[in-house]
Amino acid sequence: MRRSLRSPLWRVPLAREVDEELTLHLELLTREFVARGMDPAAAREAARRRMGDLASVRRTCMDLGRRREREMRVTRWIDELRFDVRFALRQLRRAPAFTLVAAATLALGIGANGAIFALVDATLLRPLPFPNSDRLVAVWESSEADSREGSSPLNVDEWNERGRTFERLAGYIPNVGGMVMAGADGTAETVPRQWVTAGVFDALGVRPVAGRTFLPEDERLRANVVVLNEEFWRARFGGDSAVVGSDLRLDGEPYTVVGVVPQESEVLGRTSMWALRSFDPNPALRGAHFLAVVGRLKAGVTLEEASADLSAVAGGLAREYPETNAGRGVTLEPFRDAVIGGDLRSTSLLFVGVVGFVLLICCANVANLLMARATVRTSELAMRSALGAGRPRVVRQLLTESLVLAVLGGALGIGIGAAILEVAPSVIPPGLLPASVELSFDLRVVGFCAAAALLVGVLFGLAPAWRAGELTSARAIASGGGRTATAGGGRLREALVAGEVATAVVLVFGAGLLLRTLVAVDGVDRGYRAGSVLTMMVDPLGSSYPTPEALLGFYDDVEREVRALPGVEGVAWATTLPMGDSVVGDFSFEIVGEPLPDESLRPVADLQIVSPTYFPTLGLPVVAGRGFDDRDTGETVSVCMVSEALADRQLQGRSPIGRQVALRPASQPQAEAQTCEIVGVAHQVKARPDEREALLQVYLPMAQAPIDDIYLLVTPTSGHAEALTSAVRAAIGRIDKEQLVSVRDVTTLDDVAHGATGRHRLRALLVATFAGLALLLAMVGVFGVLTYSVQQRIRDFAMRRALGATTRDVARSVVAGAARVIVTGAVIGLVVSALAGRLLSAMLFGVRPFDPATFLIVLLLLAATAAASVAGPAWRAVRIDPADALRHG
Amino acid sequence: MEPNKTPNALLHGALDALILKTLAWGPRHGYAIARSIEDGTDNAVLVEEGSLYPALYRMERRDWLEAEWGTSELGRRAKLYRLTDAGREQLALETATWRRFSAAVSKVLLAR
Repeated sequence: MRRSLRSPLWRVPLAREVDEELTLHLELLTREFVARGMDPAAAREAARRRMGDLASVRRTCMDLGRRREREMRVTRWIDELRFDVRFALRQLRRAPAFTLVAAATLALGIGANGAIFALVDATLLRPLPFPNSDRLVAVWESSEADSREGSSPLNVDEWNERGRTFERLAGYIPNVGGMVMAGADGTAETVPRQWVTAGVFDALGVRPVAGRTFLPEDERLRANVVVLNEEFWRARFGGDSAVVGSDLRLDGEPYTVVGVVPQESEVLGRTSMWALRSFDPNPALRGAHFLAVVGRLKAGVTLEEASADLSAVAGGLAREYPETNAGRGVTLEPFRDAVIGGDLRSTSLLFVGVVGFVLLICCANVANLLMARATVRTSELAMRSALGAGRPRVVRQLLTESLVLAVLGGALGIGIGAAILEVAPSVIPPGLLPASVELSFDLRVVGFCAAAALLVGVLFGLAPAWRAGELTSARAIASGGGRTATAGGGRLREALVAGEVATAVVLVFGAGLLLRTLVAVDGVDRGYRAGSVLTMMVDPLGSSYPTPEALLGFYDDVEREVRALPGVEGVAWATTLPMGDSVVGDFSFEIVGEPLPDESLRPVADLQIVSPTYFPTLGLPVVAGRGFDDRDTGETVSVCMVSEALADRQLQGRSPIGRQVALRPASQPQAEAQTCEIVGVAHQVKARPDEREALLQVYLPMAQAPIDDIYLLVTPTSGHAEALTSAVRAAIGRIDKEQLVSVRDVTTLDDVAHGATGRHRLRALLVATFAGLALLLAMVGVFGVLTYSVQQRIRDFAMRRALGATTRDVARSVVAGAARVIVTGAVIGLVVSALAGRLLSAMLFGVRPFDPATFLIVLLLLAATAAASVAGPAWRAVRIDPADALRHG
Repeated sequence: MEPNKTPNALLHGALDALILKTLAWGPRHGYAIARSIEDGTDNAVLVEEGSLYPALYRMERRDWLEAEWGTSELGRRAKLYRLTDAGREQLALETATWRRFSAAVSKVLLAR
C-alpha cells in the first residue's frame, strides 16, 4: 500500500516533515564521508559544511510547503464537496418518497415566503421610485381632534415661503375624480383626473417624459392645464408627441396638455391625468383643510429638524390668523409611510410572521424526516467514521445533503412563488394596494428564495447532522443499526413536533380571530333593509343640461322610464353609497341655537343629496318626523334630514325636528352658510363596515340641491339586481338620445360592501390558508413521529401483548405518547396566543383578542386533526401479531 | 568528492529536468536523487542541497511529484518522491527542449 504523505492517515506536521527529510540527508551524507575514511566527528562536520545554511533551506521549504498545503486544502474541499453533492444526489434518488415529501414541504414553505417577500419588498423595503426618495415627506395639519388633517392651500404657501428646511412643498387632492373628455368624433368618455398644485412634480422629482410639468406662471395665470399619465398617453394617444401643446375638452372646457409624466406619479393617486388647481387668495381659504401635502427636504435635513421648522411656522400663523389657525400645528411623516399606510404595513408584517412560522414548521418536519433517516443510516455513518472520517467530516457531509435538498426545494419554491404572484392580482381586490405597490416576480424574489433555501438547509440540517455525528461510534456498528439511537433522538423529535403543534395553534387561533372579524364586518347591520340593489353613476355633461330645471327634468324622465321597466321595484337617486364613496363629501355644520363650537373643531357630516324615493327604495326607516316628498321643491323652504347619530350626539336626545342647520363645505369654512330646516331623522346607515364611531349624515332633497354627479339606485321585484343592468342602461339611453351622459361604476350595493371589507377578507383568508397548512404540516409531523416510534417498539408491544396486555392497552400507550406531544404543544400554543392576541387587536372588529369561542374552536379543530393523525399509527400498533413479531423482530 | 565547481547558471534550468529524469527510474528520497545526478554526470554536476530541496517542494506543488513514506538505508521511514503523470509529461517536454537547445549551442560553439 502506498502511504501518501498527503493522505490524512499518514500526514505529519509540515515542520516535522521538513526536519526529518533534512536530518536524513545530513546523516546519509555523514555516513558516506565515514565510508570514505573520515572519522565520525570530522565527517559530521564536513557534512554540515557541505549542507550550507540549513536554516535558510528549511525556511524556504517550509514556505513552499505551507503554500502547497493551502492550495491543497482548497482543492480537497472542492473535491469533497463535489463528492458530497454526488453522494447526496445518489442518496436522494435512492429514497424518492422521502425526497419528494421533503422537497415539496420545503418548496411550499419557500414559495409562500417568496410571494410574501414580494409584498414586503413593495411595502416595507423598496424605496419609492423617485430620486433621493428618502427626502420626501408627507405633511398634515394637526388639530386637537386629529393629528392628520388636510392642509389649507394658503398655509402650504406660507410653509413654502417661511420654512427653511424644504426645497419644495406642494399639494394634491387625494380623491381622484372624473372628467368627461369629448373626442374629436363627438364621443365622450369619462377619464380619471386628479387635482394638484403646481410644484407637486418638482417636489417628487418627477421628470416629464414629454413637454413639461406645471410652472408657477400656470398658477398665476389660472391656466387650464393638464399633464397626462404616460400609460394613458400611450394607450389613448399612441404616445403621439403632437398631443403635447394641444387642447382637450374636459367637462366642456378647453384644457392644454403641457406634458406627459411617467406612471410613477400615480403614487399621488391612480389616475390618467393631473390637472392644475389654482386658488384665489381668499382669506376664507385658510380655514379649508383639504390638500394632501408632499415636500422635498433640503439635503441633510432630518425629519425632526423639518418638523421643528414647520411647527415654528405654524405657530407664527396661529398668532397671525387666530380665527382660522389657532390650535393648529403640523404632523410630518416619511412620504413612503404615508403612501403605504399603517394598515398595509402591519398587514405585511402579519403575513411575514405567518409565512415565517409556516416555513419553520416545514423545517421542523424535514428535520424530523432527516433524523428518522439518519437513525436508519446509523451503521453506514459509523462505518464511514471508522474509515477515518472525523465527526466534522460526517456533519459536513450530512449538511451537504440537507443543502442539496434545500436547493431542490428552493428551486421548486421559486416556481411556486412565481405561480402565486401570477395569480395574486386576480385574488387581491383592486384598490387594496396603493398604486405604488406593485407585486412583481423579479430577481430580488429569486434572490430571497435562494437565501431562504440556504438558511433553511442549514437550519433543518444542523440538528440531524449533529445527532448523526454522535452516532458515529463503534457502539452503533456493534448494535447492528437503529436501536441505540432512538432514545435521545426521539426526545428531540418530539420536542420539534410539540413546537410545530404550538406554532400551528397560534396561527389557527390568529386565523380564527381574523375570520370572526370578517364574519362580523360582513354581517354588520348596514342600516337599510333592501336586499339586492343595482347602482350606477349617472353624470350628465355640464353644458348639456344648463339649468337645474333641465337637470332635474332629466333625472325625473330617467326615473319614470326605469320604473316602467318590468321587474323593477324601486328607483332612487343618491350621492353616497352605503359603505361606498361620497360624491359631495364632508360639510361642516352647526345647529342654530346650540353653543357654537370652535371654528377649527366644528363638527362635519357626510352630506348626501337624495331623491324622496331614496328612503323607501332602500328600506331605510324614517324614525322621526317625515321623509322628503314632492312638497320639497326649489320654491319651498329648504329642508334636510339627519341621521340618528347626528341627532343623538349633537342634541343629546332632544328632538331635532324643526331646528335649523347651517351647512358649509368643509373646505370653505368662511363660505356663506346654507341653512335648512330639519324635517326628519333617518335610521343610521353604516359608512364603513368596521367604523368604530358612526358617521354623521345630513340628507338634502335633490330638488333643492341639483347636482350633476349622482348614483342611480334600482331594486328588483325579485331576484338579483344585476339582471336589470342592460335594461336600465337602455332606458337611460332612450332618455339621453344624444349620448351626452356618462354612465359608469355599474355595480351592486352588495359588491360595494364586499369591496369595503376587502382588507379583512384578504387578511382572514390568507392567514386562514396558511394556518390550515401549518396545522396539516404539524399533524403530518405528529403522524411521522408516531409511525416511527411504533415501528421502533414493535417488539416491545409484542412482548406486552404476549404477557397479557390487551389491544386496548397498546392503543392507549400509543395515544398517550401522542397526547403528551400534542397537549404540550397545544398548551404552549394557547398561552402564546393569549399573550400575542393583543398584537392583532388593531386588525380585529367585533371580536376581542382573548375570545373564548375562538379558543374553543381551535381546541376542537386540534382534537379532530390530532385524532386523524393518531388513528393510523395506533391501528398499526394494535394489529401487531405478538408471535410473528417476536419470531422475526 | 572534490569540489568540482560548475557554474550555477547552467544548472538552474536543468536541475528540474535532472530530478525528473532521476525519478523516472523509480521513487527515491532527496539524498538519493542528489547522488544519482552526481553519479550520472560523473560528478560534473554538483547538486547543492540549498537548491535541491526547494526545487523538490516547488515541483510537488506543481503536481509533477508526489511524496510518500518509504524506508531509508538507515531502516527509518524516509520521505520518497515519485513522478506523477504530469511529471512524466514535463520530463518529455524538458528533454525535447534541452535537445534543441544543446544542438543549437553546440552548432555555434563547436563550429570550426
